[in-house]
Amino acid sequence: MIMKQKAYEKILLNGLVILVILFFMIPIYWLITTSFKFGREAFVIPPKWVFFEFTLDNYIEAIEVAKVGRFVANSLIISTGATTLSLLLGIPAGYAFARSKSRLLNSSSFFFLLLLMVPPVAMLIPFYLIMRNLSLLGTYWAVILLDTAFDASFVVWMMRSYFVDVPREMEEAALVDGATHFDAFFKVALPLSIPGIIASALYCFIFSWNDFLFALMLTSPKTKTIPLGILASFSAVEIGWGRMAAMSMFAIIPAVIIALFLNRYFVQGLTFGATKG
Amino acid sequence: MKTPMIARPRLSLGGELSYLGMLAPLLIFVAAIAVYPLLFSFGISLFKYRLTDPNQTKTFIGLANYLRAFSDPVVITSLKATILFVVGTVTTEIVLGLGLAMLLVAETRLMQIIRSFLLIPMALPSLVVGLVWKSLYNADFGIIPYYLKLLGISAGHGPLGEISTAMPAVILVDVWQWTPLLMVIFLAGLKSLPIEPYEAARVDGASRWQSFVFITLPLLKPTFLIALLLRTMQSFKVFDIIYATTAGGPGTATSVLNYHIYTVGMVFFDMGYAASLANILLAVVAVLSILYVMVLERQQA
Repeated sequence: MIMKQKAYEKILLNGLVILVILFFMIPIYWLITTSFKFGREAFVIPPKWVFFEFTLDNYIEAIEVAKVGRFVANSLIISTGATTLSLLLGIPAGYAFARSKSRLLNSSSFFFLLLLMVPPVAMLIPFYLIMRNLSLLGTYWAVILLDTAFDASFVVWMMRSYFVDVPREMEEAALVDGATHFDAFFKVALPLSIPGIIASALYCFIFSWNDFLFALMLTSPKTKTIPLGILASFSAVEIGWGRMAAMSMFAIIPAVIIALFLNRYFVQGLTFGATKG
Repeated sequence: MKTPMIARPRLSLGGELSYLGMLAPLLIFVAAIAVYPLLFSFGISLFKYRLTDPNQTKTFIGLANYLRAFSDPVVITSLKATILFVVGTVTTEIVLGLGLAMLLVAETRLMQIIRSFLLIPMALPSLVVGLVWKSLYNADFGIIPYYLKLLGISAGHGPLGEISTAMPAVILVDVWQWTPLLMVIFLAGLKSLPIEPYEAARVDGASRWQSFVFITLPLLKPTFLIALLLRTMQSFKVFDIIYATTAGGPGTATSVLNYHIYTVGMVFFDMGYAASLANILLAVVAVLSILYVMVLERQQA
């Protein structure tokens, strides 16, 4: 594929790369700068790209008036809860699917793949009614449980493909030495699949952290997560864009960290077997 | 490390029971939290059940909700909007994703940095993405209408406010967020290509365009299929972006099926009808999912 490029081609390709970077980065740049601008400066025409009056007012407002800390705490509780529960349920199950020689178990693993594809709204409507009947609407548990239904299905599938790649010989040696199958799982297979566990955990965390629809219907004012907090701050004041941007900055921290520093794991989760091999 | 030569244990009862033990917690969880609600949803869809009724009576009406769905003009409109959105986003993202992958395929430090920055959009909360673009599109102070005006194009009520441009504007937001995912998938596809056919083609004097059309594209066919099915399924489920930008408007121009179901169920609380619509969507996505699973299986075999 590699052939010598002519000079004009090089210029053209470099130009395209710059165009691509501009297209994908301008909205993020705009969000970041808006969060540091005074309300009136954020939306003057013509737009101020670089030289604007710098202020932290939006952040002070986000923290003191909009109580962004409360929303961040709720998001952390729900994301951590759903991630932990999904890993606890999904990792052993993924191992069982990878190691079992029973045809019945193996074909049932596809059920979890299908479950993962269920449109969220199709699950949300009955789940909302069930939580309502159980008086669990507005609790952390309502969101954690529904997130986990999707997350755990993902973890099973992800971990299954990891455990399949872990060589069996060491586990089999342990079994011959009298270890139980649980020992073989905990002491031999688990330590060898740490990258898979990290990838699964990241996916679960970001899924719950970014979730809007489930939190919209299942949380109460006390348990609202950060996307709902952003929306609330936005409608409360007429020109809330600056504060909206400042609050969004709290919401995008995990995304930026993951994309820039943990992308190897993150990509595995998002492409979900599509790029394997 | 010593790996002793041992016979592989055959299907052992003890082993299979242990595996069942490791699976049991998840199976019980999923039965209660996912399977039961889906069955519950089918049950509800056979009833007239509105939470806004004073005493919230449930009246059994059989398949009437489903029949109503297929003759409801609003559903037909939202189905059209859905198809427009899915086709618009998936084709644009696949073409641009392949282009991006070809453009940024080199394994230099600079390209790696650029690629990791391009991953940011798809990790962001879609609601935030929607709100940011809504501010960029704003008719009074948004930068997009401002620059359009400089080019002599009048944006009227802003791209999101005009019936003719709302859908393309929303599609662009989705394209912004998800094209990088397609780039990642195509990068993996490109890296798995063999080098020999290209050398043979060069010897035969083929141009680069010819080797792209006659070698790269055919060899990437499995990648295209995976990308197409994966993104189609995801695109059917769009919600946050629509909620944040247009709320289905103007009129019903961007009211995709998923959003419409939410409105029926969670705004008008017509639960029976919403459940029947959700089940129809579920059936469509299920067919796509099964196709996807079959393709994945064949590829990994």
